[in-house]
Amino acid sequence: MNLLLQMWGGYARMTRRWPALAAVIPFIPVVALWTIVAEAGLFPRAFFPGPADVVRSFVTLTYKGILPDYLQDSLIRLFVGASVGMALGVPLGILIGTSRWAHRICWPVLLFFQAIGDIAWLPILLIWFGFGLTTMTFVIVYTVLFPVVLNTVLGVESVPRDLGRAALCLGASRARVLWEVTLPGALPNIITGLRNGLGYGWRALIAVEMIVGTSGIGFMMFDARRAGSTVEIVLGMIILGLLWYVVDAWILAPLERATGERWGLVTS
Amino acid sequence: MKTLSLRNLGKTYFDPYAGAHVTAVHDVSLDVQQGEFVSVVGPSGCGKTTILNMIAGFIPHSKGEILLDGTPVNGPGPERGVVFQSFALFPWKTVLDNVGFGPKMRGVPKAERDRIARDYLALAGLSHAANRYPNELSGGMQQRVGVVRALANEPAVLLMDEPFAAVDAQTRMTLQEELTRIWQDRKPTVLFITHDVGEAVFLANRVVVLSKGRILDEVAVDLPRPRVWDQLVDDDEFKRLSAQVLQMVRAA
Ligand SMILES: Nc1ncnc2c1ncn2[C@@H]1O[C@H](COP(=O)(O)OP(=O)(O)OP(=O)(O)O)[C@@H](O)[C@H]1O
Ligand SMILES: [Mg+2]
Repeated sequence: MNLLLQMWGGYARMTRRWPALAAVIPFIPVVALWTIVAEAGLFPRAFFPGPADVVRSFVTLTYKGILPDYLQDSLIRLFVGASVGMALGVPLGILIGTSRWAHRICWPVLLFFQAIGDIAWLPILLIWFGFGLTTMTFVIVYTVLFPVVLNTVLGVESVPRDLGRAALCLGASRARVLWEVTLPGALPNIITGLRNGLGYGWRALIAVEMIVGTSGIGFMMFDARRAGSTVEIVLGMIILGLLWYVVDAWILAPLERATGERWGLVTS
Repeated sequence: MKTLSLRNLGKTYFDPYAGAHVTAVHDVSLDVQQGEFVSVVGPSGCGKTTILNMIAGFIPHSKGEILLDGTPVNGPGPERGVVFQSFALFPWKTVLDNVGFGPKMRGVPKAERDRIARDYLALAGLSHAANRYPNELSGGMQQRVGVVRALANEPAVLLMDEPFAAVDAQTRMTLQEELTRIWQDRKPTVLFITHDVGEAVFLANRVVVLSKGRILDEVAVDLPRPRVWDQLVDDDEFKRLSAQVLQMVRAA
């Protein structure tokens, strides 16, 4: 018991000194278990590759340039889709959050379309736009849009009424209030919306790439299925997880915390 | 010279839950002279906040007139500064930028508005906190910022709705003393709303007693300044005035 406590203390100290370790160490048992199962030969190698096989595949594909190209394609699609989603979602959310009329008119429609879900659009999108970038971008934008709009509305509504009033009686115009009070007040929620939206968007992108893609990580995984290459499929899965971990834990979460905490809007 | 003048002011709310009209302010006429400090006291629900919100332009009035230097007001504007019970500081702006917000809206260049803000922060003894964010300050300090932020805009009239209700008793007394000092220094026109009789008498030149949406009576306060609690608690004139106002409020 004492020894365990000491080890835990040592772990806490170590991860505080090198925060990157905290991200790596929890995976050691996972990889170890994976290695043991693979090496024990419970399943045929072709069905259940081990870590070494995946690393080898990673090196080969990177060396050939396929992996970097596909990764780039996926990330650009996500970035474009997320940017368009934000550009549409934030103004729409602010409109709905500030205007009672816009709220009444848009809210039911918004909930209706949210319920349809991104992938459900694919059949009709394929008929309209075919197998291409337009279809993929549409799905990403669609996925990112709703969390951004809903969280922006929440953010706008959470700004205390007195703040807007204070700005008005200090001489701000309605437009200045929007810029100086509403937007910064809603920002932590907007970032939460972006964070959720990117998470859903990333998953939707992989699904779409499997169906309509000619490149990208999702395409790579689905294409590997045809060749029966489980190694590449597992490699794809690992890349999805890693990439999201990096983006979320090292960029989005700190950003969300930074705005919320600095302004005293989040108390934790 | 009168700055603010209310003529037969009235407000009727529609309460959608009760489905009925509620008259919160019946008929209020009041003149506030330039450089005067007027306190308004009255029991809870007598319409104090409603009156202030109408003067500030946050809600429309139902009848009568609100004149500022002879011109009717409608909607909020920088010539009527407001100090909020909730402080209402912008959490994403430093103390300096909060105080400089009014000048910024007037188009005052950055260097000049920082100078103005520093000047007013010094007045409130807050020079050391200029670069901090509001959530890093105590409640008392936050409301000091709220007061000088409104003053830095040099409003024709300063409206305060129970601004010290959210701080502890000791801090409240300090803030009251500081407010009288600042008032003596800058002589702003102030309309101060409170339900605390002692506070009303301590601060004002004149105390107006409100009852059920009407002005019941008013009392002139000629206590010498600067006013300090240590001296006034035992002052016979202060005690007499407080008792007189308290009696009116109780009767209201
Ligand atoms: N938005 C509103 N809709 C309907 N009735 C209202 C509304 N605001 C205030 N009232 C009513 O008007 C009356 C006066 O309210 P007001 O807030 O002005 O009182 P007050 O003197 O500020 O009281 P307190 O000392 O408790 O702050 C009350 O009866 C209140 O219920
Ligand atoms: Mg009130």
